[in-house]
Amino acid sequence: MTPIRMTSLAGAPLAALAGNSGRFRLLPFFAAASLAMFLLVAGALWYFERQQGAFFRDVQNQQIDFFKQVQDDFASRQDSVARRDLLSIHEAGNVNLTRLFANALWERDFAPFVGKAGQISVDECRALADVPDAKDGKPKPSAEKKACFAEIGKKIAAFPEFAGLNAKVFEMMKKSTVFKIKVFDLRGITVYSSEHAQMGEDKSLNAGWLGAAVDGKPTSELTFRDKFSAFEGVVEKRDLISSYLPVLAPGSEKVVGVFEVYSDVTPFLNQIKATSADIRKAAADNQDKVEAAAVADQETVDDSGTRTLAIVMLLLLLLFAALFAIVWRAAALIARQEMERDHAQQQLAQSEKMASLGQMVAGVAHQLNTPLAFSSANIQMALQALARFALPLQVAGSFSRLVKATDADKVMVNVASARDRVADIDPADLDVQMPQAMLQDTLQGIEQMRELVENLRDFTRLDRTKTSRVDLNKSLHNVIYIARSVIPTSIEVKEAFADLPEMDCNVSQLNQVFLNLINNAAQAIGEHGTITVRSLVEAGRIRIDVEDTGSGIAAEHLPHIWDTYYTTKPAGEGTGLGLSIARTIVTEHGGEIAVQTRTGENSGTTFTVYFPVAA
Amino acid sequence: MAEKKGRILCVDDEPNILRSLSWLLQREFEVFTANGGEEGLALVAAHDFDVVISDQRMPGMMGSEFLREVRKLSPRSMRIMLTGYSDLQAMLRSVNDSEVFRFISKPWKIDELPAVVAEAASIARHHPEPDAVAGEASARASAAGVESLLLIDDEATLAEHLRQELGSALRVIHAQNIGEAVGAFAENDIGIVLSDTRVGDVDTTAMLRMLKQQHPGIVTVVYTAGTDAGEVVSLINQGQIFRFIPKPVKPAVLALAVTAAGRKRQQLKANPELAGRHVVVEIDADSKQAFSRNLDQVARQSIDPAAQLPFLQRISGGFKRLFGTAA
Ligand SMILES: Nc1ncnc2c1ncn2[C@@H]1O[C@H](COP(=O)(O)OP(=O)(O)OP(=O)(O)O)[C@@H](O)[C@H]1O
Ligand SMILES: [Mg+2]
Repeated sequence: MTPIRMTSLAGAPLAALAGNSGRFRLLPFFAAASLAMFLLVAGALWYFERQQGAFFRDVQNQQIDFFKQVQDDFASRQDSVARRDLLSIHEAGNVNLTRLFANALWERDFAPFVGKAGQISVDECRALADVPDAKDGKPKPSAEKKACFAEIGKKIAAFPEFAGLNAKVFEMMKKSTVFKIKVFDLRGITVYSSEHAQMGEDKSLNAGWLGAAVDGKPTSELTFRDKFSAFEGVVEKRDLISSYLPVLAPGSEKVVGVFEVYSDVTPFLNQIKATSADIRKAAADNQDKVEAAAVADQETVDDSGTRTLAIVMLLLLLLFAALFAIVWRAAALIARQEMERDHAQQQLAQSEKMASLGQMVAGVAHQLNTPLAFSSANIQMALQALARFALPLQVAGSFSRLVKATDADKVMVNVASARDRVADIDPADLDVQMPQAMLQDTLQGIEQMRELVENLRDFTRLDRTKTSRVDLNKSLHNVIYIARSVIPTSIEVKEAFADLPEMDCNVSQLNQVFLNLINNAAQAIGEHGTITVRSLVEAGRIRIDVEDTGSGIAAEHLPHIWDTYYTTKPAGEGTGLGLSIARTIVTEHGGEIAVQTRTGENSGTTFTVYFPVAA
Repeated sequence: MAEKKGRILCVDDEPNILRSLSWLLQREFEVFTANGGEEGLALVAAHDFDVVISDQRMPGMMGSEFLREVRKLSPRSMRIMLTGYSDLQAMLRSVNDSEVFRFISKPWKIDELPAVVAEAASIARHHPEPDAVAGEASARASAAGVESLLLIDDEATLAEHLRQELGSALRVIHAQNIGEAVGAFAENDIGIVLSDTRVGDVDTTAMLRMLKQQHPGIVTVVYTAGTDAGEVVSLINQGQIFRFIPKPVKPAVLALAVTAAGRKRQQLKANPELAGRHVVVEIDADSKQAFSRNLDQVARQSIDPAAQLPFLQRISGGFKRLFGTAA
């Protein structure tokens, strides 16, 4: 026996059909989705906030660098400008000094002296080869060559006029910022130097000398010396400006010699350096301030970023809470509305059920009315007939008494007194067969009523939760009997049953299925048509067809006919429950239900139900 | 046995019913039976029946269809419908299509049925068949002048529609309540009555039935929103309603029915004997009382000062329509 899950018709399957399974669960979905979204938004905000902080830091660093560059540039420019100014001022001073000096000494003292020194040949010394310097590899005069030139210097220093000249130079330069004076002839030989040891040196390759001697242009250079022999003796750590100055013959543009003047600019330079240092310090201070400000700004920016983030998060959270509350309310509302709708639909279904029950009752009442009508008429007529028998029976009674009272074969009867009464006897009233037939028909009527009541009982089986083993043909016949009393008489219902194995089922539920199918068929037919109910065994299954010659199902309705509450009938005629209930019941019996339909000409629909045969 | 009172055909799908009916009627009448509409029509074609009795609910041809065919085939036969099942639609159809003489409900009373059948048979025998005088009647119709139609309805719109639809064929008199209707009867020669079963809050069926008792020559057309089969039965049996139209009514449908009623009226006028075919069952005392109560009520309303002021009256009529109670 196959286990069959049974449920009461009005309860569980209906609820199952109304279908809460797979419902969209608004609140959890909303909560999960929006929370995830909010977290994402928060994450993105946090990320962008950080990005912005980093960008701001970069910008600030760039600004600081730029500021530093500008300051540095400014400071170094100031320094170099000061130095250049110093140089050019001193150069101009040196030029003037040289002019004065030349004017004072050249004609009388130096010109002859230089001329005399020029007599000393230097070719010998110049011919001596240069040697590559140990440090930079450039050719430098060898020690021998230097010694050769120093020898020449000595020779010049040995000139008798030298001492006087030297004394005059020293006299002039004393107390001045000039530390040293050199005089070169046009060959480049140092013919005089206030530092005597340097006399005789060959400066013909020196750029300064060349500039002054050849181009007639003064050249100056700032140098630093650790030790320097000045007029007043050896001095230490001095910044000097050395200028190569062309000596022009008085009154002409002709270069006759070259002076080299060293003047001391240490105090000026120190001043410049101090100013530079001041500026640098100010710049560094500024830089520090800018950096400090940057750090502060960064902090502020980071702070405000964090604050903004916190506020936005808080707002998002508030928004989420508000939305959650709204959705919560909405969900509750929807749930209530759904409940109300369910309730309303259940009520509708209930009232429809009552209406169709009423229809069925009316049909059955009519069915009952026919046998009732003729039976009651027949009984009344039979009673009348019996009443009419009274007189003849009386006559027969007296006659029989008369016969019994005598032994004679013949009796004399005075009929004169009875003639009047006997005249009332109609020979037609003496027919016993007619009242018999009437009562016979009445018996048939009672039989019809009994059959109806029995069918009703079979149909509505109140022990509906129990399953039993039945021959489906019997219950089909029963359903058709009931259906005939409900559907128009102009619709013919045909039975085409093949022998079926018995099956376990809930009979009243299956009755409901077949009644629904037959009702649908009758409604699709309308006035005239045929419904054929067929049963057969096919591929080891029981197959029941309910075929009609009705309108058929239009393609646009076909996919929906199984849906709960789907109906194409006007309100009051259909609730759209019939087929969905049928499907539920058939499925619960392990069966299947299918439909085939054709519209247009020769239209019609066949619903086919399959049931497994019990093992 | 003496000569039979008439020739009768009984049609039902249930043989037991047929047998029972023939047992009941065979003493007085010559009874034929048929198992369905087709068989019945064959008999109608072959014999001349005074009365045809048919069940409504039969497989194949319905009783109303069958009686409609009988009316065509044999207009002089009186038609009686047996009903066991209150199918209002079928009843309305049988009123309008086959102009039945009586409805008899199942189970029937064995002393009443033979009486009704006897009455019908005697009418069929002694009154002319309608179609025989139809030509004559229509010939005289033009001479008879314009017929008056009394519309009893508390709404003015229908009267307007009807006047438009009918043009000059009929004179439409509009009564807004039973009081006005009674007044209209006094003043005019009314031939046709068209009425709702309810006017305001008053049931007009009693009046319509009374009317037919007093004036058999009046043709009545009724429209109704109700679905009470009992009402239809009593209106037919006691009021011989000519047409029954379910609400909502289309003016065109109404006009068609009224035009048919006009023709009927002409026939009846041309041949007053014909009205004999439409005798009605005597109204029971209860209904008479109900009617006079209604009339009293209406009379009291018209004593009301509002009656002198049509405007106020219409307002009170509106109140009645809106609230269903007299203001
Ligand atoms: N045999 C049929 N022929 C044509 N259409 C059908 C047939 N059976 C069902 N239908 C269509 O399927 C729809 C759904 O049928 P179902 O039995 O579920 O509901 P219903 O008949 O409208 O209402 P209810 O059965 O609750 O009275 C019907 O409205 C109808 O359009
Ligand atoms: Mg259905």
